Amino acid sequence: MKKTFYAGVAVAALCAGSAQAQELVFTPGEGDFNWESFETFASEHDLSGQTLNITGPWIGDDKDLADSVIAYFEEATGAEVEYAGSDSFESEIRRAAQTGGLPNMAVIPQPGLLADLAAQGHVAPLSEETADWIRENYAAGESWVDLATSYNEQAGEEALNGFFYKVDLKSLVWYSPPVFEELGYEVPQTMEELIALSEQAVEDGFAPWCIGLGSGGATGWPATDWVEDIMLRTQSLDTYDAWVANEIPFDSPEVVNAIETFGTFARNEDFTGMTPAEVVATDFRDAPDGLFQFPPQCLMHRQASFIPTFFPEDADYDFFYFPAYEEQDLGSPVLGAGTVWAITDDNQAARAFIDFLKTPIAHEVWMAQSGFLTPHTGVNTELYANETLKGMGDILLGATAFRFDASDLMPSEIGAGAFWTGMVEYLRTGDAQAEAASIQSAWDAIK
Amino acid sequence: MDNIAGKRTGLSLVTHLATLVLVIVWIVPTLGLLITSLRDQDAISQTGWWRALQGAPQPYVLSIPVDDQVQRDGLWVLETNVFAGPTGEALPDDILDRSRVDAFGTSRLRGPTTEPGETVETRDGVTVTVEANGDLRAAAPERMTGQLVLPMALVAPPQLTLDNYAEVLTDMNTAERQQARSMGQQLDDMLFSDEALFGPFVNTMTVAIPATVIPIVIAAFAAYALAWMDFPGRGLLIAVVVGLLVVPLQLAFVPLTIIHGWLGIGKSFLGIWLAHTGFGLPLAVYLLRNYMVGLPRDIIENAKVDGATDFQIFTKIVLPLSFPALASFAIFQFLWTWNDLLVASVFLPADTDSTVMTRFVVTNLLGSRGGEWHILAAAAFVMIAVPLLVFFAMQKYLVRGMLAGSVK
Amino acid sequence: MLDSVIVSGIVTIIIGVGGMFAYFWASNWVLDHVFLPAKGEHAGRNINRANQIRPWLFLFPAMFALGLYLVVPVFYSGWLSVTSGVAAGGWYRNYSEIFANDTFRIALLNNMLWVLVVPAASTFFGLIAAQLTDRLSWGNIAKSLIFMPMAISFVGASLIWSFVYHPDIEIGVVNAIRGLFGAESGVTLIDGDIVDSFLLMVVLIWIQTGFAMVILSAALRGVPEETIEAAIIDGANSFDVFFKIKVPQIMGTIVVVWTTITILVLKVYDIVAAMGNQYRNLEILPTQMMRYFDSGNYGFATAISVVIMILVLPVMVWNIRQARSETR
Repeated sequence: MKKTFYAGVAVAALCAGSAQAQELVFTPGEGDFNWESFETFASEHDLSGQTLNITGPWIGDDKDLADSVIAYFEEATGAEVEYAGSDSFESEIRRAAQTGGLPNMAVIPQPGLLADLAAQGHVAPLSEETADWIRENYAAGESWVDLATSYNEQAGEEALNGFFYKVDLKSLVWYSPPVFEELGYEVPQTMEELIALSEQAVEDGFAPWCIGLGSGGATGWPATDWVEDIMLRTQSLDTYDAWVANEIPFDSPEVVNAIETFGTFARNEDFTGMTPAEVVATDFRDAPDGLFQFPPQCLMHRQASFIPTFFPEDADYDFFYFPAYEEQDLGSPVLGAGTVWAITDDNQAARAFIDFLKTPIAHEVWMAQSGFLTPHTGVNTELYANETLKGMGDILLGATAFRFDASDLMPSEIGAGAFWTGMVEYLRTGDAQAEAASIQSAWDAIK
Repeated sequence: MDNIAGKRTGLSLVTHLATLVLVIVWIVPTLGLLITSLRDQDAISQTGWWRALQGAPQPYVLSIPVDDQVQRDGLWVLETNVFAGPTGEALPDDILDRSRVDAFGTSRLRGPTTEPGETVETRDGVTVTVEANGDLRAAAPERMTGQLVLPMALVAPPQLTLDNYAEVLTDMNTAERQQARSMGQQLDDMLFSDEALFGPFVNTMTVAIPATVIPIVIAAFAAYALAWMDFPGRGLLIAVVVGLLVVPLQLAFVPLTIIHGWLGIGKSFLGIWLAHTGFGLPLAVYLLRNYMVGLPRDIIENAKVDGATDFQIFTKIVLPLSFPALASFAIFQFLWTWNDLLVASVFLPADTDSTVMTRFVVTNLLGSRGGEWHILAAAAFVMIAVPLLVFFAMQKYLVRGMLAGSVK
Repeated sequence: MLDSVIVSGIVTIIIGVGGMFAYFWASNWVLDHVFLPAKGEHAGRNINRANQIRPWLFLFPAMFALGLYLVVPVFYSGWLSVTSGVAAGGWYRNYSEIFANDTFRIALLNNMLWVLVVPAASTFFGLIAAQLTDRLSWGNIAKSLIFMPMAISFVGASLIWSFVYHPDIEIGVVNAIRGLFGAESGVTLIDGDIVDSFLLMVVLIWIQTGFAMVILSAALRGVPEETIEAAIIDGANSFDVFFKIKVPQIMGTIVVVWTTITILVLKVYDIVAAMGNQYRNLEILPTQMMRYFDSGNYGFATAISVVIMILVLPVMVWNIRQARSETR
């Protein structure tokens, strides 16, 4: 009886998931793409008849874009690749690790998850050669290697567990150029200038910042990005790393100071034009709307690179780098997130795919379509689909260091739990010390 | 009886009013969301649903070309209409059918604050007048250059539409649907696209129907045994069933996740059917037993005397006679499984091929389209449409089942 | 594609239902014809034995499912709550950790509030509604409309009420009503204050009042007319009749309604998950439990589910005693 049940479900699942074969979106040889790298890769790899299955978090449009890149790999090698996406990828890959059925490769959005899988012996280590390649060819390459390096049970030692591909930037401030122009404002270059500009805006009768923390069950996460960005701009990279690893407690002065600095923006009713409770209740997707209203409800919005999706259709917008304090000499660290590819069931095709990800063409195909950033220094940045993306790409390539979104690196009870609710409570109560202490105690409980 | 009613007439008006108030309070929340689900996306954020039949002013910034200006009385004058004429071509499509100017202004920093018909001056010294019908007159001492950038609040005529439902079911708005159709997509492809609600709708049905039917069959046999067969331990078993009625489902989640893992069921439709069966059984057995016990004893005794087996008595006599109880449990179980969020989040994978509507709404829609009430409202009504139909069609059985379950 | 989904659903039902009937028929047949045939020299003894075994054939699938899905998990959860992840700190570690957690204590307190307020308010409104609609010409329509939210999922109801509570004065009904009384801008109604729990409770009260009304209305009809007439002759007014004559007579039913809603309240999860998930002050035990469950912390998750079980226990014992006194 059970078997038949399964069969029925399987039929339904197969029908729903049937994907059409992808055609190549850009004809090889045409345009300013790095076709040479494609040809070289193709001539070095022949995997006819081999199959490779990949699972990842991308669904919908992102899945189509990923498939469009994978099509080039199939074209070059003759291998057959099946990519399946899921919006609860994280819990599904964890379960697959326990009960079996891991794919050949997994596209993992959290380095913490990668480290867990590697420590449990589910990830095949990548070669030292690949690590060297990343150090040489990725901007802030050492950061990328470090993020993907941890103890690997299969290797029995620390090893490179995955390859970063597709990156998001967090340290961005969005604004409306015509409004800045009409007010005679200049894009600030330092944090001091940014604060001065905010105060100027208040004098001119505008709320300088739109901030919204609402996100359904994930409410509070936009605040964690703020705090992380401020940590990077007020503390050394070592302190940031120690914070992420809970080597310094969450309620240490460095962190509390960062939370309070965030409070000087978000809890300041002159700056946001709202009560802190309204900041919490405002949905993060609605928050930037104020930039484009007439009259504008706010002038600046700090948010990651994905946010233009939520702007009104004909919005006139631009962005600048969330600047560093001039008085603190901490370089230009960039906060972001990214997806890392790992081999969870080793085969020749998976190894070849890692080589494929090193070719500029694997990055350029997605870049030229939409929503993709890469730290790969060998790509033709002219190919970015628009000026906005190119601008972000340049910030990424100019970074002195890259740090991953801290909340994604913390255990999920903290990074996707106590940290979020702690920030919501901080906005309500204003007591940074107490909330930081409560996050720390939640962390102690799960140790 | 009559004289009692007579003494009440003084209170009857109060009763009518109080009931009316109660009914209004109870129905308004649903009604509000229903009307909202039929409104245009822009209108929802501008005016309340109780003003659905009035127009809603929308702010725009219009860039009006100044090529048609003429020199008159020493001034450069531009006369045009913001809705029509050659300048209209520069406007977005959806402004063209907006019927009225509600307010205008000259600075995007101040927005549309001037009443139609009044005259204001821009930063560049251009005096501008806009009438409610869209007639615009701009005059400047020197030749105007570039474009006139004017924020305006335009009023669209009110309209009710089913577009929101089409959008939530296909995850494409009207323009995207047209484009998809021109690229050769069939309705089937659109309904089953990744972020569309139609897939979860089908999944909900796939969960609810078997999860309703299977426990009924199992429970009916058990209820018959508990009602009409004699065996040691019967009283104890009934007490256990009553006790299990109140066991919190939460207790079962961790163990069953582990057990399903062992059995190789994992997270799947099979898993959730079994889980709903297990969780629904206590109520089913309890309701059906209470009903079956009340069936006339002599019919069953006579049948036994005539040599019918228990199996025959059950299928030929008890089952048909118990139809009302079966129906009322079926309604309960169907409403419960259709509306359930908790069991689905534990026993079903979250991918598009198997997620149910409640979960889709909480994680996908509230998570990624939180502020978009046109989507949320339409999704809510897609979600509650079937239960409401069942409810209004089968209310009689529902009430009967509830009474059997609680009144002694 | 749609066709195949429908086909697989129908096939499932046919296999499920057909399979069950096949099981019952086949097991009975085997019992009567193979193991203990009702013929031959032991016919009489065989029939008796078969009749002793038969109830268990009827009961087996239900007992198996109940055992696997409810009985075993209760004990398994209890076991896990004292063994899972307790390496350092003794068997009670999970309990001591969760009780040391502020958020858990808030959740426990909120759960108590829910249990006190929702059943009381639903029963009260249900009683009022039952009495009001009792003899109205349009009483059945009114009842139907008040009963309707019963069919709406908690998630749907949460959406409906989130919209009522919308902070924009032009969108949310509550804020619009404040506007009628002179408020100029909307307020954020659900902003994480501890009292906001009451706004969420309203949703459940809205759903459950209809349930209470239907049952209490049937009970009210069962109140003998003579007692009412006697009271009126003694000069009692309508309020006296209602509160002093009718209510005491249906007290038993009121208690049943009350406990039924109490059990439901202890299981409620969806409303808080959909409306107040981000606020620590609105947490209840089931949302806490699901948080730990989702992050794979089975020790804490089972410990919380055991706490919920303990809260339900008094109702369970009372229910069983009621049922036993009835079956006797």
